[in-house]
Amino acid sequence: MRKAIGGALAAALLLLAAGCSGSDDDSSGGGTAGGGKVELTYWSWAPNMDKVVEGWNAGHPDIHVTVNKQDGGDPAVTKLLTAIKAGSGAPDVMQAEYQKIPTLVSADAIADIAGEAGGLKQKFPDSAWNGVTLGSESVYGVPQDSGPMMFYYRADVLEKLKISPPATWDQYADAARKIHSANQKQYLGTFSANDPGWFAGLAQQAGASWWGVQGDSWTVNIDDAATRKVAGFWGGLVQEGVIANTPMYTPDWNAALNDGTQVGWLSAVWAPGVLEGNAASTKGKWKVAALPQWDPAKPAGGNWGGSATSVTTQSKHKKQAVEFITWLNTDPAALKALAGTANIYPAATDATSTALTSPPAFFAGQKDFYAIAAEAGKVTNPFTYGPNVNVAYSAYNDAFGKAAESKQSAAFTAALATMQTTTVSDMKTAGFKVAG
Amino acid sequence: MAVGTTVAVPQRARRSPAATVLLLLGAAYCLLPVLWVVIASTKSAGELFSTFTLSPSTHFFDNVAALSDYRGGLYWRWMANTALYAGVGALASALVSAMAGFALAKYAFPGKSVVFNMILAGVLVPGVILAVPQYLLLAKVGMTNTYWAVLLPSVISPYGIYLCRIFAAAAVPGEVLEAARMDGAGDWHAFARVALPMMRPGLVTVFLFQFVAIWNNFMLPYIMLGDDRLFPVTVGLSGLLNQGATQPAMYTSVVTGALLSVLPLVALFLSLQRYWQVDLAAGAVKA
Amino acid sequence: MTTLPAVTPAAERSAVTTAADRPRRGRRSAGTPYAFLAPALVLFAAFLGAPVVYAGYLSLRRVKISGLGLGRGSRVEQWAGLGNYTRVLTDSEFLPSVGRIALYGLIVVPVMLGGALLMALLIDGGRSRAGGFARTAIFLPYAVPAVIASLLWGFLYLPRVSPITDVLTGVGLSAPNVFSSSWVLYAVANIAIWGGMGFNMIVLYTALRTIPGELSEAARIDGASDVQIALRIKIPVILPSLIMTFVFSLIATLQVFAEPMTLRPLANTISATWTPLMMVYRDAFIRNDIHAAAATSVVIAVATFALSFGFLKLVGSRAFRQED
Repeated sequence: MRKAIGGALAAALLLLAAGCSGSDDDSSGGGTAGGGKVELTYWSWAPNMDKVVEGWNAGHPDIHVTVNKQDGGDPAVTKLLTAIKAGSGAPDVMQAEYQKIPTLVSADAIADIAGEAGGLKQKFPDSAWNGVTLGSESVYGVPQDSGPMMFYYRADVLEKLKISPPATWDQYADAARKIHSANQKQYLGTFSANDPGWFAGLAQQAGASWWGVQGDSWTVNIDDAATRKVAGFWGGLVQEGVIANTPMYTPDWNAALNDGTQVGWLSAVWAPGVLEGNAASTKGKWKVAALPQWDPAKPAGGNWGGSATSVTTQSKHKKQAVEFITWLNTDPAALKALAGTANIYPAATDATSTALTSPPAFFAGQKDFYAIAAEAGKVTNPFTYGPNVNVAYSAYNDAFGKAAESKQSAAFTAALATMQTTTVSDMKTAGFKVAG
Repeated sequence: MAVGTTVAVPQRARRSPAATVLLLLGAAYCLLPVLWVVIASTKSAGELFSTFTLSPSTHFFDNVAALSDYRGGLYWRWMANTALYAGVGALASALVSAMAGFALAKYAFPGKSVVFNMILAGVLVPGVILAVPQYLLLAKVGMTNTYWAVLLPSVISPYGIYLCRIFAAAAVPGEVLEAARMDGAGDWHAFARVALPMMRPGLVTVFLFQFVAIWNNFMLPYIMLGDDRLFPVTVGLSGLLNQGATQPAMYTSVVTGALLSVLPLVALFLSLQRYWQVDLAAGAVKA
Repeated sequence: MTTLPAVTPAAERSAVTTAADRPRRGRRSAGTPYAFLAPALVLFAAFLGAPVVYAGYLSLRRVKISGLGLGRGSRVEQWAGLGNYTRVLTDSEFLPSVGRIALYGLIVVPVMLGGALLMALLIDGGRSRAGGFARTAIFLPYAVPAVIASLLWGFLYLPRVSPITDVLTGVGLSAPNVFSSSWVLYAVANIAIWGGMGFNMIVLYTALRTIPGELSEAARIDGASDVQIALRIKIPVILPSLIMTFVFSLIATLQVFAEPMTLRPLANTISATWTPLMMVYRDAFIRNDIHAAAATSVVIAVATFALSFGFLKLVGSRAFRQED
């Protein structure tokens, strides 16, 4: 046994030596490694981003980019903000979800690259470009992907019950009732108190914009008529018991997708990858349609997910970093790799014609998949995020968690009021100027 | 393992079915999740969510292969990192604690009670509270996102020092040290050649204790490390689980990875099991 | 250090006599104990002392934002006095989270220690051949990190993937929804009990083994039953160990974090402020307000000190005193 410990110690020390000598050249912050070669670090959580970046490194021997895979949007922002506070440790380039950009700008974490990247405006749809400018003259990143919301459903189940894909929310509610009464275990969807981004997208479709800028102060409109309509709608369905009230992205939800007890999902363009990973056994049974509408005469859409690529304020190589993110999000070869290898839906306008020519594998049967997605993208409503999205989203988790548990419609609208007061009081405590 | 039943009790003790039932119930309760993870690790992604929970399948090696394939065998690097953080950290911690515990138990010096009370207070400070200030301070010297950032804070263990002090007091008789000194041995010599061997069982406990503490400390590496090649296995697995909304969680890999990560620790525990009694007895009785 | 040969004191003495004329200066130097303490003190100062002091400093500061907070320089750090503390103590989520862990502690500590004591007594009693097996099995969960343990139990709790539900519905019972508001506290407590029972059992078992066999033997001859022997002889003797395990369980209770944090995405009923430490996490990482987080941290640390030393004073234990 003593020998075993000695051996483990020796092995561990070797590793330590290897690790420490190795960490010199890949430590964050970037540096020049001789001969004018620039080293950039890039935090991203998209799968296979390192393979996409290989395409850049092969063609640019003087600017080398290292991808550090992150766990996801929230942990990456947490770490970036801590590094900014500490004054060192941030990467050069950072994947940033649109809703986090005001937070990051407010914390002085991401740099204004209007001088270097301002000319890219016409390559992106207005809604995406708005997400990186916050409606100002500054540019805080280059849009990478967007997440127009769509409605996914089990075509076999709906056909059997002679239900056509709902065009309006009323029809969605009817379909939910029909499905649940035909089989008490089956639901057309679930109200997930764990996914504020999902709810925000639905509110966006209804016409809400939770934050806004009025002169030199912020406005907060979470508890507005449009969002109240959405909260009331879902509260009603949960109270009736025709929609489930358990969170998405749990093993339980996976099982429900697999065994056919969840037969619909209001999601976004990236859903095929999730469905394939979580419910591979249902391949070929799903179809996609546009979101149900509040007013079919004026179709509208919302976004769930989507991100930009930003340069951090700690980067010492802003120019090279912008060069890289411009290539990553606009070059045809890069767009193709983003769509094909990293499995994301590029925001660039010409991506639809160059990179998204055939439907995702899990929806091989649905030739018009990307046509529906493009249509959804076009009607997406404008939406402004504020500097404390995390606070509002965490208030959503807590308040709507309670509401979903209580299964009372009134609790859903009350939860919205809680969200509003929590968000406003946090902003006021921090010192932000808030109108009203 | 059966030592306990033969030594502590006279041979004439009658068997009691009630005792057996209670013990087996306790064991079953503790083994249920373990049984579950063993069975779940044999299932393919589809089966994990569709077949009866406790019916095993045949995909264990496929799952291990898939896990090993993930980003070029990153999982095994996480395992090696964990061995490094917990193994080296706990070894260093045991040595540092032994020296400090020895000094506190065997010397009288000004400031002794201040030092000891400070260390006792340190026992009570939770790691979650320390992680952020530790990060901010380490960032000032540019040491975040390195092996050192996780390793160095793991070496200090107030509880280890506390145990070592108790153990040095109990296991190293003053006369033996005095005799060594009479024979001309220096303090270092007396410590390394006389005290350390006598404290060895206690040090193994401190080692195991700190090993588990480091292995369990999720927050420190989670905050300190941005590069996932430096992650310990707990942080890595949690990342596989929380991929964000746009990616499916890799449950099969997480389940298989969880099982594989616990196995070496179980083996370590079982092989060192007898040490868990020796010194905690000393600690408990002396207290 | 483990690679050193285990030399017996006698052998050691004969070995060092050969070097009898070594200078005496080194071993009587007043600096020696400090030299032994130096590595520990340096590390303690760097990774415990300094962060604690820094947290104290941060708790007295705040970041003040002006206007939209978007431009550079719209964010200044300033002194906050005790503002962060009043904010934490008056936060409407703070008291409920304290109440929750009080209740949680009332469940975890007695059940875990009771179970550990029962198992330790049963194994020590030697009335069953299952003792050795049970000891290993019950200790096993200690090897499972809390994050992984919570993940495993999470699977066992969710109705659609749980074997428990399958079994219960198989015999015609309906399984309770473990994540409903009336059950969730027990669900979290169960994971802590599962993970901690084995360790405490080993501590208590070790203490039991130090009781001379003749003691219970004599009692048995006098006609005492196993239960009487346990209550009148064994438990009083191992009381110091019980007190120690109690204090450490109490500290662990105040610091419960990993289990509810891991279960949170699975349930509607675990809020971001479910326990005080989760509140620290929320302030530091969700609200990006390390100053409030530092203040909450200080409050928790002070409460931990007060409770554990208060308890030790109450029972008059010498566990934490310096004298042997």
